[in-house]
Amino acid sequence: MNGRLVLRVLAGIVLALPLMAQHGRYLRESENPALGTPEAIAAGAKLYATSCAGCHGPDGSGGRGPNLVQRTLWHPLSDEAIFNVVRKGVPGTDMPPLDLSDEDTWKLVAFLHAMTGPAAETPAPGDPEAGRELFWGNEAGCSGCHSILGEGGHTAPDLTNVGGSRPLAVIKEAITNPSKDLFWLGKEAVVVTLKSGQIVKGVARNRNNYSLQVVDTSGDLHLIPMLDVAALTISGSSPMPGDYAQRLSGQELENLLAYLSRQTLRPPQASATSEGK
Amino acid sequence: MKRSWLLACLLCASAAAQVKYEDIIKSPGEDWLTYAGSYSGWRYSPLEEITAENVGSLASKWVYRVPNSRKLQTSPLVYQGVMYVTDANSVYALDGAAGRLIWQYVDTRVEEQSNNRGAAILGNRVYITTSDNYLTALDRRTGALLFSKNFADVAKNTKSTAAPFVAGDKVIVGSSGGDSGMRGFIAGLSAETGEEIWKTYTVPEKDGDPGSETWGRMLGWGGGAAWLSGTFDPELNLLYWTTGNPWPDFNPDTRPGDNLYTCSLVALDLDTGEMRWHFQFTPHDTHDWDAQSWPVLVDIDWRGSKSKVVLHANRNGFFYMLDRVTGEFLRATQLIDNVTWSSGIDDSGRPVLIDDKDPTTEGNWVCPSVKGATNWMGQTYNPGTGLLYVITLEQCGLYSKSLQVPVPMKNFPGGGATEKGGQVIVRALDPKTGKRVWEYPMTGVGLMWSGLVSTSGGVVFAGDDDGSFIALDARTGKHLWHFSLGEQLNASPIVYEAGDKQYVAIASSTAIFSFGLFEPMKPVPLPKITIQE
Repeated sequence: MNGRLVLRVLAGIVLALPLMAQHGRYLRESENPALGTPEAIAAGAKLYATSCAGCHGPDGSGGRGPNLVQRTLWHPLSDEAIFNVVRKGVPGTDMPPLDLSDEDTWKLVAFLHAMTGPAAETPAPGDPEAGRELFWGNEAGCSGCHSILGEGGHTAPDLTNVGGSRPLAVIKEAITNPSKDLFWLGKEAVVVTLKSGQIVKGVARNRNNYSLQVVDTSGDLHLIPMLDVAALTISGSSPMPGDYAQRLSGQELENLLAYLSRQTLRPPQASATSEGK
Repeated sequence: MKRSWLLACLLCASAAAQVKYEDIIKSPGEDWLTYAGSYSGWRYSPLEEITAENVGSLASKWVYRVPNSRKLQTSPLVYQGVMYVTDANSVYALDGAAGRLIWQYVDTRVEEQSNNRGAAILGNRVYITTSDNYLTALDRRTGALLFSKNFADVAKNTKSTAAPFVAGDKVIVGSSGGDSGMRGFIAGLSAETGEEIWKTYTVPEKDGDPGSETWGRMLGWGGGAAWLSGTFDPELNLLYWTTGNPWPDFNPDTRPGDNLYTCSLVALDLDTGEMRWHFQFTPHDTHDWDAQSWPVLVDIDWRGSKSKVVLHANRNGFFYMLDRVTGEFLRATQLIDNVTWSSGIDDSGRPVLIDDKDPTTEGNWVCPSVKGATNWMGQTYNPGTGLLYVITLEQCGLYSKSLQVPVPMKNFPGGGATEKGGQVIVRALDPKTGKRVWEYPMTGVGLMWSGLVSTSGGVVFAGDDDGSFIALDARTGKHLWHFSLGEQLNASPIVYEAGDKQYVAIASSTAIFSFGLFEPMKPVPLPKITIQE
């Protein structure tokens, strides 16, 4: 290898570094040896409880420190970036450096990954088959409003990829405490009385003083200029029932979460497959 | 009794409210159901409200800013007043009269963020392809995900940018990535499940494959990407698709021969994908002149009889007419003024080459430029005037050849090309003669990728190279109206109806603009609103 070639190779490596850093955001490029290992995640959970929960909340929902779980759009952070923040802290903020071994830090990162990453990346406990029966059956009645792969109701958010796009804690909170942090516009249950006398019932996907866009219970769309509306009734609460925390037993909730967390558009790894409908 | 009748009626209305294959064959009318509006690729609307006489009072009706967009190339679809626009790995359903978002779908797991040119629609489904080659089907009313099925391996340098194309019970998809080595293909997928029904490659893989005798060492990596959707003749059951450049683009030393089936128009059987015929516009291309431009299907009188022809304005500087049943070459005329690589097209349809016009290590000036005499931007054929309208570019370019050994998938095109100056000119061509009827020059240096649409009202709408949206008289080419959109245009306009009004819409780099005839705004009194406890 002559000098010029060495220089070229070096230049290539330097040019490729930013790209490698970008790709490092994704699970399959993570260097974390503890990733996805139940024992390591359990050990990481203990470390989190003693070192992190005081500021970030026991469930990651924040407090003195930022919410680690709830994000508007899910883009995974790289495990390496989390590792560095844990070890070095964030200068200029209250986030201190932690004095942990590499091994323990990776365990903590594995737990954070499981807590904040898409639910499908870490198998949730519970019986997904029992959860499937709950989802599609009458007791929980989820499929009356929610759909998976085109089956089910039309008025509530589609859950085909819920496990591939949301952390487990977010899915759990949406079931047990649906009114928390909910922004109503776009999810309002409405009854629209048109000046023609026709009545449209459904969910307003959008609304302002000039137009309404409503999906009715059969899934049909109604584009309505407000000039045509005689009266509009808006439900003051979420169409999502608020009593699932009481209606479902702890085991039932776990089973339902096990089913929903496996609903993913694309399996995160070749070995992990979605449970189908 | 009355109630059951009402229910039955609701059910039949609901069942009828789906896009059927027959609707697409008849379109466009009120709806705009395919990328080019019709299977024949006309980008022509029969709506009559907006005319050459009243277009001067066209006014902006709404603007929708597409989140996170930077360079929209989407050609919207419209069905029953709902507009579907796309960006990389995303779809937005808008109220076509109010401009308000109904639902959005963003596939955040996809690492690739390629351009995206549009959606397809059939039944209650809207289809997009993701940058990493998944055909994704969504419920057109709610955006709910129905399936997402992979059709090609992104690791083999194939990406997806073209709008999917629905014909019969199939969705036709293609392939991008031809400038750094890949094997182009066109695939027919099941509209029901996304499963592959056929896949037809545009370049051979190994010795003995059809066309392999026209290649050297680059078998299997020769490009021929199919990065634009095409047109379709339902009677002949034939798809007309264009193919991209051979690879390496600018250094042909490793690929002696014609390099079939690159820079070609191919006619494929819809049911099997079988290639019924091919016509190569630029054999052994050395200037990156992909054939991506619209194969426009018209029936005209030719030498005394009604003929089914396909019109094709090509990037290489010539305007072709072929028999679309057989692929026979019928005629070629010069599309732009400045063509320096060929003195014309011979009787067999082959270009007559001028010496020393290939790229060189020092750089060689050749016209047209690498952007081509025209490109993928929308063209329009107007049956009222009988004219084809094409965006053309008068521009020359410096073509350089690199002696570096080409390695597939390293983003290396075997050299490079730059261009200087240039002018975009809208040209009206008479398909009967191949000659120009009028032209409208724009201000700018050929940066835009925007195209055309025309109407039965005698108007040609165009994106302008200066960022304006303009209306021209379809008969004379005279300016009738303009509106500055404030940024570069890379998409082609469409025409649709919503709430009994005609609209014309276009994507700028970051937003969708929709226009209609001016009418004074009626005050909107708030209805009685009750918030229930």
